[in-house]
Amino acid sequence: MNPPQSSSAGRREVRFEREPARRVFAAELREARHQFREGTEEKSPTYVLLPTGQRCNRVFVVGSMTEKQRQGEQNIFYRARIVDPTGTTFVTAGNYQPEAMQQISQIEPPAFVAVVGKPNVFEAPDGGGVYVSLRAESVTVVDRETRDLWVLDAAKATLDRIDAYGTTEDSRRAAGEYRIEPALFRKTVADALAQLNL
Amino acid sequence: MDLSIIAARISQKIQTRGKNVEQHEIEAKLRLLVDEFGVPPAEAERTVISELGREYQVQGLAGAVESDRHPIAELVPEEWVTVEGKVVSLSTPNSPSIAQTGIIADASGAIRFVVWAKAGAPHLEAGRWYRIESAVVDEFRKAPSLKVHSGTTITPLGTDEALLPTVTPVAGLKPGVSSVRVKMVQEWEARSDRILQTGLVGDETGTIKFTIWKEEGRDPLVPGTVYDIYYATVDEFNGRLSLVLNSGTILPDEEAVLEVGTGGQVYSGAVVHVGQGSGLVKRCPVEGCNRVLSRQNYCPIHEFQPQFRYDLRIKAVLDDGVSTKNILMQRETTESVCGIPLDEAVGIAENSPLGMDEVFLRVQSAVMGRYLDCQGREMDTTVLVTSAERRRFDPVALAALIDRAGGEA
Repeated sequence: MNPPQSSSAGRREVRFEREPARRVFAAELREARHQFREGTEEKSPTYVLLPTGQRCNRVFVVGSMTEKQRQGEQNIFYRARIVDPTGTTFVTAGNYQPEAMQQISQIEPPAFVAVVGKPNVFEAPDGGGVYVSLRAESVTVVDRETRDLWVLDAAKATLDRIDAYGTTEDSRRAAGEYRIEPALFRKTVADALAQLNL
Repeated sequence: MDLSIIAARISQKIQTRGKNVEQHEIEAKLRLLVDEFGVPPAEAERTVISELGREYQVQGLAGAVESDRHPIAELVPEEWVTVEGKVVSLSTPNSPSIAQTGIIADASGAIRFVVWAKAGAPHLEAGRWYRIESAVVDEFRKAPSLKVHSGTTITPLGTDEALLPTVTPVAGLKPGVSSVRVKMVQEWEARSDRILQTGLVGDETGTIKFTIWKEEGRDPLVPGTVYDIYYATVDEFNGRLSLVLNSGTILPDEEAVLEVGTGGQVYSGAVVHVGQGSGLVKRCPVEGCNRVLSRQNYCPIHEFQPQFRYDLRIKAVLDDGVSTKNILMQRETTESVCGIPLDEAVGIAENSPLGMDEVFLRVQSAVMGRYLDCQGREMDTTVLVTSAERRRFDPVALAALIDRAGGEA
């Protein structure tokens, strides 16, 4: 959450601005490595820095759930793969995300789903490299049209980030953290849109 | 009179407003008027000040030298003024250090006034005209008000001019005192026992929240009726305007028809959260209450209400990827967005083992993740949605994005 934006004077309560859910293609999200915390308090939000130069604390993805896996006996835990035109995004839900977990448990892949979740960067314990996943807040079955709308939305958001690259603080930070040329994602976007055109 | 002294005075006056004008430039202007055109120095001073005021966009400069009265509509804070106007309303002061508060109006407009107890001023009567000399204009919550202090002279005037207030369109309201012609649009539940009525009024240009505080002789407005409201108070709070009608004269015009403009905006995005309290709710049946009851049919004010009414609504978060908005949909919009009419929702709740939760789940799965274009108005922190549509896939948008992505690859 951002710092308090305004205080509603009547009740003197602090108003927090909800973190927007960024639209990110799987191909870009999987390249994210840099995670940081803003502020020093326990509840300070953490962000994943996208290679195109924007921090995100929440992500919105619509794609096909192609597979789900249930793990654990005492502590049930779900993993799901969400495929968009550019690749696969990994989604997880455990006991701390009961709503998302129950939703995933009822979904039979393959199905178009809309996922709202918090991105996390993990280092595989066996030295299997670094990967990014979304801890789901909610997973809902949607229709194909919603998926197509999301591809347009994610394409536009990605192009906006590429165009703003170098002009924002986050993108300058990304330039220091990543060696990927953000312009490469322009091709990702073009390919994703081409698939819709079929 | 030495023109350089006048020039120095004008220059100083402009400096106090944060603008700088060369003194010799001012003197040259004065000299031109006085020497070339035979204008009396006092009139030349006035002319130059008003000319500079326009040139440097400083308001209210001219007032300070005019010994005559100032139009009330043009009063600006931190100015000593003389006005002639009619006391159109008196209100009860909320502090012993204040003798009287009310509203004084002339043909140009109206302003709140405060008479300090220490001013020793004569008692003002509503409906009478007064000349108030050397009062001070200041600002309270962005609204100008006129302070009558011990240096102020008040003279009752014999006149009894008819005063026709100028009506301001709702979209053009500013903090202060204004007259409006509006239709009562909506009644809201009052959050305080001291409120007689609160809700929404509007005209063609938009809508605004109104409040009537409980007070003897005050009647609530009737929904759908058009009113001329003279000298209501426009307050600003947290950047939003609202009308307090207690200071005003409220005249219903039962014959009139007024088309109220939504003045709303379109908010687009995806639904990323559906809040608790969405779906089927039970409302308190007590007249004017309408609060949502607890699961046990308990109203926080009217206690247990087994004869509740069912209603449908959605409280959600709309997110466009850049910012988020809390949205609230009433029954009609909820029905059309979810495709579940109220009677069907009641049926589901009564027949499902999950009860009302089943309706929540269906509403949630109908709107979560969907792209909506919502028409509505932002109130407090929530957009009250008046209509909402599912966004449709647009091949033109796709073509434009393909162009954009391919443009500079």
